Amino acid sequence: MKAALGFCLIFLTLHSPGVLSLSTHVAIVYPQDPVLRMGSNLTASCWVHPELGVHANSLFWTLNGHQLPSSLYRVLSPTNLSVTLAGLNASRQTSGDNLVCHNHKGHILAGSCLYVGMPPEKPVNLTCWSRNTKDLTCSWAPGGKGETNISTLYKLKYKLRWYGTEKECEDYSHTQPYSCSITQDLHLFTPYEIWVEASNRLGRATSDVIILDILDVVTTDPPSGVTVSRLGQLEDQLSVRWEAPPALKDFLFKAKYQIRYRLEESQDWKVMNDVGNQTSCRLAGLRPGTVYFVQVRCNPVGIYGSRKAGIWSEWSHPTAASTPHSERLMSCDSKSSGDSNSTLRRELKQFLGWVKKHAYGCSSMSMKLYDQWRVDMQKSPKTRNQVGSPRG
Amino acid sequence: MDPSHNLASERSSIESTYELTKYLEYQLKEIKDVYLTYLGPPFNEKDFSPPRPNSTALTLPSAATRLELWHGLENQARLAQNQRAYSILLAAVRELARSTLCPSLKTSLLHFCTGLDGLLGSISALMNSLGYSSPAQAAAGELQFPQRGTGSNRPAPLMSQSLKVEGFWILRELQSWLWRSAKDFNRLKKRLRASSLTRHRYY
Repeated sequence: MKAALGFCLIFLTLHSPGVLSLSTHVAIVYPQDPVLRMGSNLTASCWVHPELGVHANSLFWTLNGHQLPSSLYRVLSPTNLSVTLAGLNASRQTSGDNLVCHNHKGHILAGSCLYVGMPPEKPVNLTCWSRNTKDLTCSWAPGGKGETNISTLYKLKYKLRWYGTEKECEDYSHTQPYSCSITQDLHLFTPYEIWVEASNRLGRATSDVIILDILDVVTTDPPSGVTVSRLGQLEDQLSVRWEAPPALKDFLFKAKYQIRYRLEESQDWKVMNDVGNQTSCRLAGLRPGTVYFVQVRCNPVGIYGSRKAGIWSEWSHPTAASTPHSERLMSCDSKSSGDSNSTLRRELKQFLGWVKKHAYGCSSMSMKLYDQWRVDMQKSPKTRNQVGSPRG
Repeated sequence: MDPSHNLASERSSIESTYELTKYLEYQLKEIKDVYLTYLGPPFNEKDFSPPRPNSTALTLPSAATRLELWHGLENQARLAQNQRAYSILLAAVRELARSTLCPSLKTSLLHFCTGLDGLLGSISALMNSLGYSSPAQAAAGELQFPQRGTGSNRPAPLMSQSLKVEGFWILRELQSWLWRSAKDFNRLKKRLRASSLTRHRYY
C-alpha cells in the first residue's frame, strides 16, 4: 500500500503538471540557499518523504549539473543522504550554484542554491569632481581582486564635516559601475566627508574617508567654437580661437586654458601651457604646408576667490588646419628699385621678422605690437635685445 | 454602420495581434537562453526538465489542451483564455525580472514585459471591438501578484532552487502560450470570416 501510494505521488508530481497539490514537500535539501566563504566546507543533506518509498542509498547529488562522487556521500538514515564538499570554489554564477538531489532515475527531488564567495574588500581610488558646481560625482573601484559572484552592494555616503547627518547618494550610474552623482542640496564653502560602504552577505568594508570642498574639485565643459586658421601667409604659424564654456558665465572665476596640437600623422601632442585667460592664441614654429590637429581644454581657476585650480575639462573636439606652403621662389628682391613701396615692404619684412622672434604665443597682432616694435627700433641695440615679449 | 468596414478593421487587428505573438515568440527564445545560462547548469542543459512546481503563476490553465476542445472554443472563450494567461504570465515575468541580479538580463526581461503588456492591450482591444466583455483583468487582480510598475522599492527576493525551477517553468509556459496564441488568432480569423459570410447572405 505504501509503495503504491509512493508510486502515485511520484507519478502525479512528475507526469501531471499542475494537478497535484502536495501539502508537504516530496523532498528537501538542508541547508536551503546558504552563503559560504570560499574555501570553506559544507555538508548538505537530502531528506525524502518516507511515503515516497525511496531509500537514501538510491539517491545521488549533482552540483551545477555534474554528478558528485559517491565517496562524498553518507547515508544518515533510510530517508536522509548527506554529501560533504570541501574547499568550495567561488560560485559559478550570481544566481548561486545548483546543488540538487536526484532519485536513481535522475529525476530532481529537491535542491539548494549555494552562494560561495568572499566578503568585500575596502573600496579604493575614491575620487570626486563637480561639474560647474551643480553636482558632485564620485567614482571608486572594488578593493583587492574585485568581486566574486556574491552580489555586492555599494553605497556612497557623505556628510558635511562639521555638522549635518550622514546621507546616501541615490543616483547610481547605470552606464558606469562604481559611480554615483549627488545632485541635490549641495553646500559650497564647507568641507564634505565622503566614503563608500561595500556589503554583501559575507561581510562589509568601508573605504577611507576623503574630505573635500566642492569648490576645490570643480571641472567644466570644454571650450566651444574652437577655430584654427592661418595667419596670412605666415607659413609656420596658426591662430587658434575659442569661446569660454557658457557655464563659466555664472561664476566669478577666471578660466585658464591649455592647448595641444599634433601633426596629422603623429600621435605626439605638443602642449602649450601658459595660455592664461585669453580666448585666442598663436602657434608658432610649425612646419609649412602641414595639417595640424588642435584641441583646447579649460580649467576653472579661482572660483569665488579660491586660489586653487580646479580640474581640467575634457579636450574639445579636434579641429584641423594647415599651414601655408613655403614659397621659396625667386625672392622678393631686396635689390629692387628703391621706390617707397619697396621701403614699406622692407620695413614690413623686418617687422614680421621681429614678431616671429619676440611675439609668438598668445598676444594678438595689433597696432600696439607695431608701435612696440617702432619703440624697440629706437632703442640702442644693447637694450633692444633685453627683456621678454611685449604685452599684446 | 458598414459591416464590411468593421470586418476589415477586425481582421487587420487580429493580424497585427498575430504578428505580435510571432515577434514575442522570437524574442523569448533569445531571452530564455540568456536566462537559463544565468540560472546555471543544469537549467541550461539540453533536455533538462525539472518537476513542474505548484505555484500561483503555474496554476493557470496550461497552454496544452485537447485538440477537440481547442477547436470548438467559442471566440469569446478563446480570447478570454488568452487574456487570462497573459495577465498572469506578465505578472510572473515581472517578478522574475525583480529577482534577477544581473542588470542587463533584468533590463531585457523588463523590456520583454512591455511587449507582453502590448499583447494584452491588443487582445483587450480586440475583445472590445467584438463586443465581448473582459472579466479576465479582474481575475488576474485577484492573484496576489504585485502588478504595480516595474521599479519596485522592495528588495529583490533571494534566489532559491524553487524560484529557479519556477522561473524555468514560467518561461516554458510562456513559450507554449505564444506558440498556441498564433494558432488561436489564425483560427479566430477563419471563424470570423465564416460568420461574416453567413451574415452577408442575409443582407
